[in-house]
Amino acid sequence: MFLKGFLDNQFSELRKLQDEGTPDFVAEVVSLFFDDCAKLINNMSTSLERPENVDFKQVDSGVHQLKGSSSSVGARRVKNVCISFKECCDVQNREGCLRCLQQVDYEYKMLKTKLQDLFNLEQQILQAGGTIPQVDINETDTLLNFANVQG
Amino acid sequence: MDLVSNEEGRTEHFPVGMRVLAVDDNPTCLRKLEELLLRCKYHVTKTMESKKALELLREKSNMFDLVISDVEMPDTDGFKLLEIGLEMDLPVIMLSAHSDYDSVMKGIIHGACDYLVKPVGLKELRNIWQHVVKKNITTYKKNISPSPQLLTPSESHLAPSGSKKRKEKVNDSGGDEDESDREDEDGEGSEQDGDESSTRKKPRVVWSQELHQKFVNAVQQLGLDKAVPKKILDFMNIEGLTRENVASHLQKYRLYLKKIDESQHQNMTPDTFGTKDSSYFNMSQLDGLRDFTSTRQFPSSSLLSRSHLTRFHPSVYSSINLQGTNSSNFNNHQSSSNSANPFGTYHRTLFPRSQNVNLSPLEPLQFPTSKYMGDFKTIGDRATGGSFLDTRMSFGSSSTSLPSASSNNLMLQANYTQPLHIASDKNQPCHEANSSSLNMSVHGLPRFPSHSWQGSLRTTNRFPSSCLPINHVFSQDQVAYPGSGLGDCSSLVSAENPGGEMQCEPQLLGAFMNTLDDGPKWEEQNCNMVNNQFGNVEYPLAADNIVFRDNNASRSKGLDESLMMSPIEDSATTINNSQEYVGKFTMLDADQMKHSGKPENALVVENQHDVFDDIMNEMMKQDENNGLVSAVATRFGFDSFPPP
Repeated sequence: MFLKGFLDNQFSELRKLQDEGTPDFVAEVVSLFFDDCAKLINNMSTSLERPENVDFKQVDSGVHQLKGSSSSVGARRVKNVCISFKECCDVQNREGCLRCLQQVDYEYKMLKTKLQDLFNLEQQILQAGGTIPQVDINETDTLLNFANVQG
Repeated sequence: MDLVSNEEGRTEHFPVGMRVLAVDDNPTCLRKLEELLLRCKYHVTKTMESKKALELLREKSNMFDLVISDVEMPDTDGFKLLEIGLEMDLPVIMLSAHSDYDSVMKGIIHGACDYLVKPVGLKELRNIWQHVVKKNITTYKKNISPSPQLLTPSESHLAPSGSKKRKEKVNDSGGDEDESDREDEDGEGSEQDGDESSTRKKPRVVWSQELHQKFVNAVQQLGLDKAVPKKILDFMNIEGLTRENVASHLQKYRLYLKKIDESQHQNMTPDTFGTKDSSYFNMSQLDGLRDFTSTRQFPSSSLLSRSHLTRFHPSVYSSINLQGTNSSNFNNHQSSSNSANPFGTYHRTLFPRSQNVNLSPLEPLQFPTSKYMGDFKTIGDRATGGSFLDTRMSFGSSSTSLPSASSNNLMLQANYTQPLHIASDKNQPCHEANSSSLNMSVHGLPRFPSHSWQGSLRTTNRFPSSCLPINHVFSQDQVAYPGSGLGDCSSLVSAENPGGEMQCEPQLLGAFMNTLDDGPKWEEQNCNMVNNQFGNVEYPLAADNIVFRDNNASRSKGLDESLMMSPIEDSATTINNSQEYVGKFTMLDADQMKHSGKPENALVVENQHDVFDDIMNEMMKQDENNGLVSAVATRFGFDSFPPP
């Protein structure tokens, strides 16, 4: 499955906010999100770097931010990692935090790739003169199939 | 009306164009929020820095209608922004990823209009404009206490000075229904005193009968267990009503119900006078109160119907309807207070004024308790809503509050004196009370919970606004103050139940009469009483008890306590206990009276005292007769003055 489980209905909400007046809204928001992810992960990595001097407060703040933005865009898997991340942070488990950090990094990059593909796909469809069906994000396979057929 | 021209040139109504300031340090969330708000057709200004936001707010106070801010922000605490917003009387909505109870509680306690959990949806944002309206209504009401139509020239200058735009919005954007609602409830129609509004510190929600009924409906629909303020608020759908109002009302309501439960368990054999049956007791008390009130107000003997005294009768309510005719009556009455049927006499002489004998409130009661409750309901509705009333509470307590002769005297005195102290301001409220009848007294009335109603007393106390009317009434008739207090109540009551006969418990009356005798003493006590009694509503009334106290240590004390609305647990206490308790309160009252605190309190107290005193007197008397004084006292709701 292409995007199944990666995104939740918040992403659909985002898509709903996009219209002729705001054609690139979704792209804009997700790119903001990815930039945000990169920045936060970087900061947290720095905080967790030295075992003897971990600023868990800062890490917690970063996780909180990440959780907020991921839930806003509907990045489901990223958000779920953040929940575990927060738990590790609460008990000041550096090892756990590092693991979660790694996972978050992986997830957001994975999502970025997939979304990039999706946008490209949509672009192609549009350029081919078609319209992008507003489908459930978890059914994007349909879109892919559709695109393939069209292609 | 805040009209906004859209691109096509068509003017659109609020909430289109509502100016929102969005603050969030998370760029992703902020962008999404901005888009959502734009989708709702609001005008959005966004910033990621709270410092910038504060700057914007300070620069132009009326640049925004609403602020939405994240709670957790690195450079500034979201609550700081909340404070600034509140200072400027702007509705502030908190936004956060935290949905835990504590976080939400913190936000609300700090004064946030609402607390939204991220991710925020379009649906949630579509309705945020209601907070703007609510704020405006509150501001409007704050500035103009009396109902608009009754604004006297002197008061018109007190028209809301807030943003004109906001005011317009209030008027235009559906505040109308609400306002008319509020007007009815305000009971401050006749502002005779331009100072009235200036003495008000903050707008009060008057829980009129209609409003309370809606509240009760909402609670019933939701189920008492699941009835949370927010849901109730939504259910009621009353503009201008805040969650906090509902929350406090709900608390009182719950206490009231608890009291009812307790009292029902304490039911005793019915008796016309202060029977064991708590409900009866309440009722009789109520009757007594009514009689009391009516006597005060109607000098005519018809009201006195002493026969009524012997039985619990809705008519008592009607007696209550008697508008405060007081002063003259009172004076006269005093002399005759010692009659065998003090109450009757009192009635006769005391209140020559209006005669709204609307005892109807009690009439509907099916059985003593319910009857009482029903009446109460009407009364209570005015102040606290019907449900409250149902539990014999107000009246019951009132009656209990009517102390035995001596205490009554004291009470009366207190009541009567009170008005004297509170001059013009009070008059107005009283006036309003009279006109609005139910509204005012109700507030006061709830104070007299049935013995089982102590809790309710407490809760009722929370409706200070209602108290005010009563006070006003009294003030008008300086002398008749005490009567007016009751009168107001009665009017309130009677309004609901027209036609009941006035029935005063002879005992109660007697008590009352006795108290009447003691003029000067009375005054003191009245003051105290008033303060105490009604003070509880919003302000702990310690002094109230003083009135009762003077006379019968035991009885008055008990009453005082109840009046005082001390903690509900008193209900279980014995007379002795209550009495002692009362004593304490009264003492405080005296002091309080002397150094009356906020005018609001005074006003509230005043009104309440009068009515309350009367009720207490009656109840005391009744108790005495039935030896149930203690019971009454305890049940009277010593805890009537719950902490706000």
